[in-house]
Amino acid sequence: ASTFAQVSLTKNNAKLETVLAELEKQTGYNFIYNSSMIAKVKNVSLSVKNVTLSEALNKALENQPLDFKLNGNTVVILERSENQKQLRIMGTVVDKDNLAIPNVSVTLKGTKVIELTNSDGKFAINVPNSNAILVFNFLGFEPVEIKVGSQTNLKVVLKENISALNEVVVTALGIKREEKSLGYAVTQVKGEELTDALSNNWTDALTGKVAGLNMIKSGGGPAGSNKIILRGESSLSGDNSALIVVDGVVVSSKISEANGSYLGSENPVDHGNGISDLNPEDIESVSVLKGPGAAALYGSRGANGAIVITTKSGKENQKGLGITFNSNAVFGTINRWPDFQYEYGQGAIGSDQYYSWGATEDGPNTKNTGAAWGPKFDGQEYYQWDPNLLTRGTERTPWVPYKNNRKDFFEVSQTYTNSLSVSGGNAKTTARLSFTNLNNKWIIPNTGYDRNTIALNVSQKVNDKLSIATKLSYNNKYSDNLPSTGYNNQTVMYNIIALTPSADINWYKQYWVPGSEGLSQIRPFANGLDNIYLSVYEMLNKSNRNQLIGTISANYEFTKNLNLMIRSSIDWAAEARSQQKPKDAARFPEGMFRTQDIDQKETNTDFLLNYKHKITRDIEASYSIGGSAMINKYKMVSLSADRLRYPGIYTFANVQDRVESNSRTTEYAVNSLYGMAQFSYKNYLFLDLTGRNDWASVLASEFSNDNVSFFYPSVNLSGLVSEMFELPKAISFFKIRASWSQVGGGGVTPYLTGYNYVSRALYSSGMANPTFIANEDLKNELSTTLEFGTDLRMFKGRLGIDATYYRSNIKNQILNVPLDRATGYNYSVMNSGLVQNKGVELALNGVPLKSSKGLNWDVSVTFAANRNKIISLADSVDNYVMQTGPRGSMEARVGGRMGDLYGLGYSRSPDGQIIYNSQGYPVITEEAFYLGRATPDFNWGITNSFRYRQWRLKVLVDGQYGAVAYSHTHVAASVAGKLTNSLPGRYTGIIGKGVQRNPDGTFRPNDVVAEQVGTYYNEHFKGDNVEANTFSTDFIKLRELRLDYTLPAKLMKKIRFQKAVIGVYGRDLFVWSDWPAYDPEFGTLGNSDIQRGFEVAQFPSTRNFGVNLSFTF
Amino acid sequence: CTKEFKELNTNKDGAKFTTPETLLGPAVHDVLKRNLNRCLRLTHELMQVHVTLSDGDEIHRYVIRPQESDYMWNNWYLQLTNIKDIYKGGDAINSKAFMGISLILDAWVSSLITDVYGDVPYFDANKGRDYVLQPRFDKQKDIYQDLFKKLEDANELFKTANAADVEAKMDPIFAGDIAKWRKFGNSLYLRLLLRVSGTGELGAAAKILDIVETRKSNYPIFVSNNDSAILRFQTTAPYLSEFAEYRSIDFQVNNSLSEFFINNLNDWGDPRRDKWASKKENAFIGIPSGYPVGQVPAPQSQYMAALMNEPLLGNIINYPELQFILAECAVKGYISGDAKTYYEAGVTAALSMWGFAVPTGYLTDTSAQWYENDNANQKLHQIMLQKYYTLFFTDFQSWIEYRRTGFPVLPKGFGLQNDGVMPTRLKYPVNVQRVNQQNYLAAVASMGGDDLKTKVWWNK
Repeated sequence: ASTFAQVSLTKNNAKLETVLAELEKQTGYNFIYNSSMIAKVKNVSLSVKNVTLSEALNKALENQPLDFKLNGNTVVILERSENQKQLRIMGTVVDKDNLAIPNVSVTLKGTKVIELTNSDGKFAINVPNSNAILVFNFLGFEPVEIKVGSQTNLKVVLKENISALNEVVVTALGIKREEKSLGYAVTQVKGEELTDALSNNWTDALTGKVAGLNMIKSGGGPAGSNKIILRGESSLSGDNSALIVVDGVVVSSKISEANGSYLGSENPVDHGNGISDLNPEDIESVSVLKGPGAAALYGSRGANGAIVITTKSGKENQKGLGITFNSNAVFGTINRWPDFQYEYGQGAIGSDQYYSWGATEDGPNTKNTGAAWGPKFDGQEYYQWDPNLLTRGTERTPWVPYKNNRKDFFEVSQTYTNSLSVSGGNAKTTARLSFTNLNNKWIIPNTGYDRNTIALNVSQKVNDKLSIATKLSYNNKYSDNLPSTGYNNQTVMYNIIALTPSADINWYKQYWVPGSEGLSQIRPFANGLDNIYLSVYEMLNKSNRNQLIGTISANYEFTKNLNLMIRSSIDWAAEARSQQKPKDAARFPEGMFRTQDIDQKETNTDFLLNYKHKITRDIEASYSIGGSAMINKYKMVSLSADRLRYPGIYTFANVQDRVESNSRTTEYAVNSLYGMAQFSYKNYLFLDLTGRNDWASVLASEFSNDNVSFFYPSVNLSGLVSEMFELPKAISFFKIRASWSQVGGGGVTPYLTGYNYVSRALYSSGMANPTFIANEDLKNELSTTLEFGTDLRMFKGRLGIDATYYRSNIKNQILNVPLDRATGYNYSVMNSGLVQNKGVELALNGVPLKSSKGLNWDVSVTFAANRNKIISLADSVDNYVMQTGPRGSMEARVGGRMGDLYGLGYSRSPDGQIIYNSQGYPVITEEAFYLGRATPDFNWGITNSFRYRQWRLKVLVDGQYGAVAYSHTHVAASVAGKLTNSLPGRYTGIIGKGVQRNPDGTFRPNDVVAEQVGTYYNEHFKGDNVEANTFSTDFIKLRELRLDYTLPAKLMKKIRFQKAVIGVYGRDLFVWSDWPAYDPEFGTLGNSDIQRGFEVAQFPSTRNFGVNLSFTF
Repeated sequence: CTKEFKELNTNKDGAKFTTPETLLGPAVHDVLKRNLNRCLRLTHELMQVHVTLSDGDEIHRYVIRPQESDYMWNNWYLQLTNIKDIYKGGDAINSKAFMGISLILDAWVSSLITDVYGDVPYFDANKGRDYVLQPRFDKQKDIYQDLFKKLEDANELFKTANAADVEAKMDPIFAGDIAKWRKFGNSLYLRLLLRVSGTGELGAAAKILDIVETRKSNYPIFVSNNDSAILRFQTTAPYLSEFAEYRSIDFQVNNSLSEFFINNLNDWGDPRRDKWASKKENAFIGIPSGYPVGQVPAPQSQYMAALMNEPLLGNIINYPELQFILAECAVKGYISGDAKTYYEAGVTAALSMWGFAVPTGYLTDTSAQWYENDNANQKLHQIMLQKYYTLFFTDFQSWIEYRRTGFPVLPKGFGLQNDGVMPTRLKYPVNVQRVNQQNYLAAVASMGGDDLKTKVWWNK
């Protein structure tokens, strides 16, 4: 008999003693043990055949408090002591090039025991016996399982997951797919990339990281709504933003600020929306499904692509408590200013000889202007405002500029985010609970908000077949004051532009006339302007929003191949908003109080039945059938009292007139059935077929349901060329993909199919005809997209290229076709219009430097270009006004692109020179002409990451090229002489560069001195001259910079932390651009949208610095 | 899948049907507010009531950019949909009163559209619901002929209309007094007849005689200020003035009253100036209109802030205007009455409408005095000058009347554009040129152009 003796044995629930006796018999070894010790232990079941004695003994003693020792021919069975129980296994983890890999997780299979390799790739772990299996996991490598056996010093070689062959991405309906099998482009962004350089709206972090993703940012205050556009706009009248889905719940991205941004009766306030309020700390990953092919299964709303968000959950068999604490502080200061001039003071055009606050011995009053055409600051003295007397000073005081009057108004913005999460799990249950608090004070005094989020994810395997999961997230966002945006009396930026160089901001700090508090404000200068501090401390926009996003799902596995998922989800938000204005405000001089209560809810119930099977040895197939029922409801009740009785009391009890109330309700539903089939051949050729039928309530009319149903299919093909053929060694992975897909949709606007009188609630029983002609025969829109792409990885994954070309057509658009108003209506709802988008997207990944101990350098580059073309509009229309700015318009003209801007401009001579009139002022055209477009030709982003041992440095630079926009900030500041562009020619007059028209129709160089320099600049830069106020919005931004340090594993162990990271970061640190206002990257909030093209008194953009601490224990 | 879709896609905030009285108040109020909006922007600038204090606004220099044309065209036609719907609703519930009211308001708004633009869609207009999406333009003469028919019909309808049909609270103009509606219709009839009388067509002069003298019992017209068609603005919602929510900067700060406007009032010692104009250094002073670029004058007298809530600014057509219409008819020999009597009645009523008695000597010692020996042209000037003040803040009337008569004679500033010619109409809106192109082109060909100097039919 020898150690290698083979034994065979089958026992069921036998006494250990019996088993040992049997082994003794088979091997002839001497077994020594204490009978009373043996008697205590559990009965044994085992079945082994031709195994060594050791193996048999291991099996027999598995999960028993006993161990054995082989000593010659003697087997000693003894009680396992704490130390004896464990084998100490050491080892090193390296890659193919024999370079050590740090931070590899080493798990004892079937337990929660986890160790990490140190910076030399070494690890040590205790295992119960030599049968233990160790699992090695590291991102970017294929996992390896190793049975310990007799070795105590392992050398583990991890194979790089070069091809990302098994990389799993989340696709439509939350279905996890291997990326290699997809026929369309998907970009996955990891949660930590979102929190690396946190801003108030987490979607900011997608900028520059996803090719083809365009962000239109309202910049409208702390809540800062963004609109995400994938692959360019295509819908002429609809919302072009991507669908946002969180754990299967479609989250509202509705922008409900209906007011216009330019001199309306009220201005829009950016309250944020469902997306901006998501908590980035809870996000595990974001899948960006760019084309409709990817999103086909989301139905019509997926036609603009989809952002699919998966939130974090607890991990199975997680080690430790799983407590993570994140603390983040960000501070923002203004990163860019217009070129304000501080050489000449307050004064209307021509009032540059003296200054006088009110009529004095120096001359008539010159203080009633917001312009700065006044006298030069030359050491002289004038009668000016006296902040102590609150009127004109009794003495002349020095005429000096207050160069920081604008800068001093703004504060450093501060945002503190603290989040705590607990997660854990065993084999059956996983759970994660998190709480996050965000506190923000914004750059404008007395603005900011608080947000608290609680999220709970639980999943439970009820038995082998049934599992249930619940994900709930509740958040409350509260603000005492959010700033009004745009250009209007009560907005801060209106007042900032109106501030003259000779006014001290401190003069405004006291804003009530003593003795008339609440009744009359102090206006040191022009009477039309409101005191800027009154506007921030008394004109308040409050908001309190509660949002619940929840989903409950059950998954039942009938067999290994057949499973059914049923899910129900809800996105429910209730929001209370109010606006108040004090008495003596320029608008609403009697004060004002308004409230809006918004209740919006979308519920969705869906199921998905999956079946997979192997057709032949090489062909695998899976089929799914699903269906969903969605219903969306929105209700807003608004009350307003535009004249109050007593000052300072903002309730509806305190009104002069009656309270006006309005209510708006919209409801719509979409029911769907869909199916898909996936085939894979030899795991290198993949074919997906999908089909979906929708029934959309918005297409139902009073008389018929004929048009509500529509079907659309998609085909996606993916082939791994590198697996099919032998390719040069340099190519490690080569995939080509193609996709053709259609998406139909009825839009999200109900009630377009029936003629409805609208309520004029202000009037007793008041009604009016609608201003549009309904369309009983409204049909669905249809977009068709063709997409080709490739994913090529070379040099062992050191270089990766992902390229996509796409072409999409959207036709039969549901369009509000403008009519001659002589028809009695503004527009008619029709199916018409064909818009095409073509474009390319490129993503490059490179690893220039790589080593285990030294420096690692990763580069990733994104680039996207989109070309849009209006192929046709409605029959009667060759032009469709998409939006109008303060002046000028954005129009879709047949043959043109969406985003083309038109407006008046300079009258020019045949050789393109500006024509000046006989007084030397420029001449403006009568007709509007094309001035450029608001959508960029291309966007790009470059991320460089450096890793050196525990240090990591990440730099993201991005930019856009080829777009223009109109700047109202430039208009308003230029015509008032506030910018340095108005300095040349003061006191002397100026000859404009251009030509004079001779009486015979020829031209000569301009030789006429424009005497009145203020008028000269007014004629150049007045709003009507859209051309002169339209500027390139090209920019390059140093978008993100982050340096962090991960505490070494050794230290972690001592302080019982699993991970600790300390990081500092900056966002939007530098901006290179010719844009004359603050930020070339802007959107203008208003008219229920965020629009580009026309900047209307934008807020400053900020340079943000943050500190971030993250601990896991 | 679609069981409840029809119900679901039914608007929850509106109604499929309505009755005519619900449309009346909002529609009339909207038209009046829009009229005031553009009266301030266009009429009062062109007609030298006030002058802007900015080089950017060039209306006073007769520069009217194409985009100025959209606002009134769009809003007038939109409200005509409601106004015409009142007729249909009246027909449906068998209310002659509402049918009559609709016809009068239709004639009022339609006349404004054609007077401002010339040949415009009329017979095809407001039929979008019946899918007439590119309405034909009609000749102004044909339009006027039909307007007269509408006013004739309205007069007939009111003869037998049920006085109880119109609830007082639903009628912001006459509080349900249908006799006054009838007088409004016939007074408006006279305004429009006189407007086209210069053409010698449509038998306008004869019809005036018929209404005023021959069959005057059949055509009741305004007999006092009390009858005037004015939606008297209130200070509480809903019937607020267009200007009620303006910032003072938009209403009175950025402009100043003109020399022409102020000087006449000063000549007459007209008490209305106390309600209309602020004093500058204790005097009423105007500024020149049509000043050249770069020579913006310093502000002088400006509108009184109280005008922003003035009830009388809701004027459609008033009794004094009717008196001046009759005075002109008398001067022209259309009627046999005494022009002086009408003129003086007009002046007296115009002042008393604003709460003032005629000051001693106003009609005897000032240039407002009526001279029997003046020639017809001088008399017409006299009438039109007074009428101009009566049309203070009344849509486009003073400009339309100026185009018709050339009165009052306005001084011409050095900065005038358009060859110094008062614009004779507004261009067609740019949008119309695009979405109704063929009909637009036909109309331009028929009218003889589409610019600020093209004359409308009654002006040729």
